Amino acid sequence: MKPTREVDCLGMRCPLPIIVIAKEILNSNNGELLRLLSDDPATWPDLQAWSRMTGNTVSRQSETNFIVVRQNQSGQDSR
Amino acid sequence: MAQITRNFTSEGPLHLAAREALESAFDQGWADPRKLSHQSAKARVLKNEAIESIASNLHISAEKLEFIGEARLGHYYSIAGLLRPQDLLLHSVVDKSEILALARSRASMGLPVSLDGQIDISPALAPPSVDRVFAVQIANGETGVIQNYTEIIREFPEARIACDFSSAGIALPLPERWDSAFFDSKSWQGPEGVGILAINSAHKWINPLPHIGPARVPGSVSLPLIMASAIALEAKKKEFDGQAIRLREISKYLRKEISSTIAHCDIAGNLESSLPHINSLSFLYVEGEELLRQLDNAGYALDSGSACSADDLAPSHVLAAMGVLTHGNIRITLHASSTQDEVRDLVQEIRRVVEGIRSR
Repeated sequence: MKPTREVDCLGMRCPLPIIVIAKEILNSNNGELLRLLSDDPATWPDLQAWSRMTGNTVSRQSETNFIVVRQNQSGQDSR
Repeated sequence: MAQITRNFTSEGPLHLAAREALESAFDQGWADPRKLSHQSAKARVLKNEAIESIASNLHISAEKLEFIGEARLGHYYSIAGLLRPQDLLLHSVVDKSEILALARSRASMGLPVSLDGQIDISPALAPPSVDRVFAVQIANGETGVIQNYTEIIREFPEARIACDFSSAGIALPLPERWDSAFFDSKSWQGPEGVGILAINSAHKWINPLPHIGPARVPGSVSLPLIMASAIALEAKKKEFDGQAIRLREISKYLRKEISSTIAHCDIAGNLESSLPHINSLSFLYVEGEELLRQLDNAGYALDSGSACSADDLAPSHVLAAMGVLTHGNIRITLHASSTQDEVRDLVQEIRRVVEGIRSR
């Protein structure tokens, strides 16, 4: 599957990339893939923690390129 | 009216007993104990008494102790003293930055940690092809997580063991087997600037810095501060058990209140396997610096492991290694004087500030 949207957070400092992707996830459908671009060093560790806390899944394609998938399940953050 | 700031940072005031003795210590212990004068002889006696007292309270014989004026250098002395050029240094990725810096300059293996902060030794369990030194963290200063160090050391019978007691202090006993250990006087409310290096196996440890003569460390440490450290340790030892029980109860209350009233809070480590006075909490979607600043304005001084609060703008390597949220982090360190009422008020303030930041 390919990402349906690209969310560009390059140049943003933490926690902004996580706040932005959380809002974008709200506007996506279950199972939809989003590409997140971020060069903040806290993004990858925080994406993984966010995934654990909200149930959405994440993967890292490169240092600045991440895939985020919305998962509708209990514990889903509804921010 | 000046606002009273309640201190929940990792630094605390000198122990009252040490503070009261400090002036007299400076009055009597100013001479160089290595010289021949009457005053020097007196300083020598005071130094020996202080060292004997510290040794007795740490359960280590006095001749094994060395004192270091730049305390953080103690990590280097403790580990590099055991490490030969061809050796492999085993350490954990949640070690203090001084240890990580040493590891980067040598052949080393950084062991990962689990979400609860416990070291995963499995990558190092294969039979070694080289001699190894294991830098074993006893407890983490940022999260309070206590390692299963007795079991860890048992798994590496051939390795030389350098224990980092700089955060654990007197909260935990020495392991059955160790070769060097490092303590920081601050961990028992002693003064800054007194690092204590214990060398258990003198034949395995060599002064790692260029030196002339038999001295194991430079020895440029203030005698009055060693005396104050000894007095603080003596006093802390007597009150420690009662304080630990009380602070653990307050930490339990703090963690329960926070997690039950504020959504999306990530707490680093389990209190059951942590030092009783350290609590590291991260709030999703909250900027750590803003949180710290607003709490400071409300009269609460705290620390943070978030990137925006660090000099190098990098997130805490400890939180990142554990997989704990690194942004929106605050570290609440309880002190002997901390009360549950203070913590209840602090929790209310944290709730107010976090909700305010999230609602923007």
